[in-house]
Amino acid sequence: MVRKTSAIASATLALALMAGVTGATAQDASKTEPKTFTIGAHMPLTGSLARSGQAFNEGMQVAVKLCNAAAPKYQVKIDLIDDESTPAKAVSAVEKLASDGSVAIIGGYGSNIIGPASDASDKLGKVYITAGAVSDELTKRGLKTFFRINNNAGYQRGIATLIGDLKPEKVSIIASTKEAPALLAEGLEKDLAAKGIKVTVHKFDPAITDFKPIINKIKLQDKPDIIMMSAYENDYVGIIRAAKVLKPNVKLLVGTWSLATPKMYTEFPDLMNNVVGTSFLPFPVEVKSAEGKTFADTYKQMYNKDIEYLSTLSFVETMVLCDALFRAADNGTLEKGGLADEMRKTDRDSLLGRIQFDATGDNPNFSLSMGQHRNGKIILVSPKSAANGEIVYPGVPW
Amino acid sequence: MTVTSATSVSAAIRRSGGRGMALGAGLVVLALLPLAAGASPYLLGLLISALILSGLALSWALLGNLGGMVSFGHAAFFGVGSYASALLAAKLGVPVLLAIPLGGVIATLSSLAMLPALRLSGPYFALAILAYAQIFRILATELDWLTGGAAGLQRYPGLPTLFGINLADRAGSYVLVLACVALFALVYVVLRKSHIGTALRAISDSEDATRVVGVNATLLKSWMLFLSAFIAGVFGALNAHIIGFLEPDYAFSGIWSVMPIIAAVFGGYRSVLGPIFGAVVIYLFDQVIAKSLIPVGHQILLGILLAVMVLLAPNGLSGLVARIFSKTAEKHHAGA
Repeated sequence: MVRKTSAIASATLALALMAGVTGATAQDASKTEPKTFTIGAHMPLTGSLARSGQAFNEGMQVAVKLCNAAAPKYQVKIDLIDDESTPAKAVSAVEKLASDGSVAIIGGYGSNIIGPASDASDKLGKVYITAGAVSDELTKRGLKTFFRINNNAGYQRGIATLIGDLKPEKVSIIASTKEAPALLAEGLEKDLAAKGIKVTVHKFDPAITDFKPIINKIKLQDKPDIIMMSAYENDYVGIIRAAKVLKPNVKLLVGTWSLATPKMYTEFPDLMNNVVGTSFLPFPVEVKSAEGKTFADTYKQMYNKDIEYLSTLSFVETMVLCDALFRAADNGTLEKGGLADEMRKTDRDSLLGRIQFDATGDNPNFSLSMGQHRNGKIILVSPKSAANGEIVYPGVPW
Repeated sequence: MTVTSATSVSAAIRRSGGRGMALGAGLVVLALLPLAAGASPYLLGLLISALILSGLALSWALLGNLGGMVSFGHAAFFGVGSYASALLAAKLGVPVLLAIPLGGVIATLSSLAMLPALRLSGPYFALAILAYAQIFRILATELDWLTGGAAGLQRYPGLPTLFGINLADRAGSYVLVLACVALFALVYVVLRKSHIGTALRAISDSEDATRVVGVNATLLKSWMLFLSAFIAGVFGALNAHIIGFLEPDYAFSGIWSVMPIIAAVFGGYRSVLGPIFGAVVIYLFDQVIAKSLIPVGHQILLGILLAVMVLLAPNGLSGLVARIFSKTAEKHHAGA
């Protein structure tokens, strides 16, 4: 009986010791091993917007690499799903990412996608950040978990500042009827009219590829000083090509996103010279901040190319999210919905300027510079505080 | 027909009706399984999308099967239904559950404009309705005072709570969409078995011959167009209130014209259940299986599946299942 009791006691002691050892080992491990957080992301990786989704992904991956290098206590990984630019699939992606344990979601491209996806994210209590949707409606919904770093007002401000400084008499705006370009054109029409400039807007269906009838009308009827293009890459090419054929007597062609990029000059060198578009940085890239330099170097190392417009946007949004995530984790509020509060406390410099979020989750400081294509280089020409060269005006590609 | 044969026919109908009821009840139970098993919002979300597509495929197949018309423009009815319902709920304060069938009614009214095209047949009708869908997309973009233009609509009411069931959450939406699919499938079954269904099938075989025996083919085809437009409009409205966002490019997207055709052909558009199951199978295969195997570019697997299906079973999934069952029954009889 004694032998049996002592055997049980020995076994219990051994188990207790083992448990103690295991516990101690686990404790040691938790002291040394960083805690890993998963950030979910949905992007268009197939279809007509695949290039944009890919560029967004590249910026995110660089940001994650830098965040992980800077924070020994924490590690972040990205769980990326192709939303196929379809609202229902974007919503499903958000639900899947949330059920797989993502602590926050980085949104895709287009207000039609971001709207329903961020709604779903809000219902699941997950912070949602985007750099791919500029619709004003998104921030009017009163969602507590929605944040974005760029908006229509910022693009509008950048372009209106440039055109206002040039003091033209007349401006013709050629605008796609797609949501973001249509909103921008509407805002610019009001802004420029308020500056005493006569503005004519020509809307076009995104399906059209021949812009000669519009350019002809502008040439013969409007006779503007500046043609402003509120559109996308393929449209710019069609518009400038038509203008090069018909040669309207204008002094400048101005566009918006994805125009003042090295890629556009590489692919269409005969169309781009002197054309102006929104930009963050000149080309060759000259980054002044330490974070920007690290981003540019790491991006070059990972993808063997210079940083571009959309990757810069996604880099900034991911860095902002990581910062807030680590702060919430440090405070122990992550599990209690503290991430949204930390996002609201954001106040940092970035490649886009100062990032803060107002009560609606929008970044009120967002504003862009304007860059001009000049023989393969992009010179920042507006606003004066960011310019690294003088604008060529009049200056057209032909 | 003798009294004996008439009795045996009616008994056969009763038997087949009983079998149909049992099959229908079994399918509804099967469809409710995800709820009983506590499926995640993600899975329910996928099923909701698949069922929306099912409803649209059913509406397309009804027009093709009973009306003898191949439509490449169901996006028009889907889009009109979605905009109508969202606008009625947002601007006039119509309760959402009333706005949804009203969306279907307005889609039906919009299909009146298609009546002249009923004189056309085959590819000519298909092209006319394709153009029709484009006209509505452009109208939705241009009438920005009403539709919000290219920016679309974002702030309109979602699905409400009814008898304590929150229809806006995934489980509630799933039950609502499932009920709508079941209801319209039942309407389709009843219609097919009626004299009208017989006349319509005769029209699709030979319209001229049917006219000779006094059937008003144009009127019956018009009714099928209206019913098809109504169903498509209702599912468009449901989708709009579930997704919570509308813009012309999405509401009138070509996907709503092409996907129901693919789903109906895959499932077997000659049957009632074919389009429904076709939509569920292809959507879930694409989003769950293919996407997990090839996260980017998974559509290639769906393409291969469709090609294999068309080659091996031209009558679709329902035809394949029927063939397997009849072979099994033959073996069983031979064994007996």
